[in-house]
Amino acid sequence: MTDTNPRVDTTDTELILTRIFDAPRKLVFAAYSSCEQIKNWYGSRSCLVVECTMDFRVGGFWHYCLRDPRKGEESWSKAVYQEIVEPELIAYSNAFADAEGNINETMPKTQSRVELSDVDGKTQLTLRVIFSSPSDLQQVLGMGIIPRTTEALDRLEQHLEALAAADA
Amino acid sequence: MFALPTLVLYYTIRLISQLVKSMTPQRDALSETFAALADPTRRAILADLARGKKTVNELAEPFDLTLPAISKHLKVLERAQLIERSREAQYRPCSLHSEPLRDVDRWLEQYRKFFEESFDRLEEYLRHLKTKQGNER
Repeated sequence: MTDTNPRVDTTDTELILTRIFDAPRKLVFAAYSSCEQIKNWYGSRSCLVVECTMDFRVGGFWHYCLRDPRKGEESWSKAVYQEIVEPELIAYSNAFADAEGNINETMPKTQSRVELSDVDGKTQLTLRVIFSSPSDLQQVLGMGIIPRTTEALDRLEQHLEALAAADA
Repeated sequence: MFALPTLVLYYTIRLISQLVKSMTPQRDALSETFAALADPTRRAILADLARGKKTVNELAEPFDLTLPAISKHLKVLERAQLIERSREAQYRPCSLHSEPLRDVDRWLEQYRKFFEESFDRLEEYLRHLKTKQGNER
């Protein structure tokens, strides 16, 4: 493993993760393209994909349920594919939903881009997650109204002052 | 005669409803925080309060809004626990309460962790696929 793997960048509105996988691009791309494959890896250690329906084409839906068996929590999401270029790009919007696929409008939606490139016979995956709604959330995040965990409250105050100045 | 089963039923229902509630509190509170933040006037009010306590009249001043309209915004912020209102004085000054904002930050942190762990699992899965392919050859 190199120093740059894994790599995480965060701007206020965008989460960027980069990872190099020792596998051909085709294989990494395929891991995203069916429920059968995605159930094998998508989700954190404690939160697994337990339900999944997928129509892997532009305009198609990916409706899935993540469940944490220890806490008994589950969370449904619904994604819509916006761009698919085999084997280099998958772009989709993602929203919190229920089991019937109704979207929860109060929770933020995200735009995700999975970019794959060849690096010395390995595959570099860059994931960009952009928080996009409710419409103003992006602005809230961008303005830095939300304090980073390690920062003190006076940083928040500076941001809020800037925000107030911008609004005035 | 029926007191015991009724009590058992009552406590069972109460336990179930508490369990259901305990599964979703964070999401509900977050939804409320996001909804409260999704308004420019309310964000400006929070920005004002970051500089210190203010009364409703002082908060209303920069806006072209009536006092009842400002009060409505304050109620939303209060319900989302983004502001606190003093009980001491009659004019009840408002102050900023930043804890829900920290919850939003923690939520974003969970997002990052989710994808990192997901990629750890993808790494293992791809390794497993390659071994399987190798064995089949």
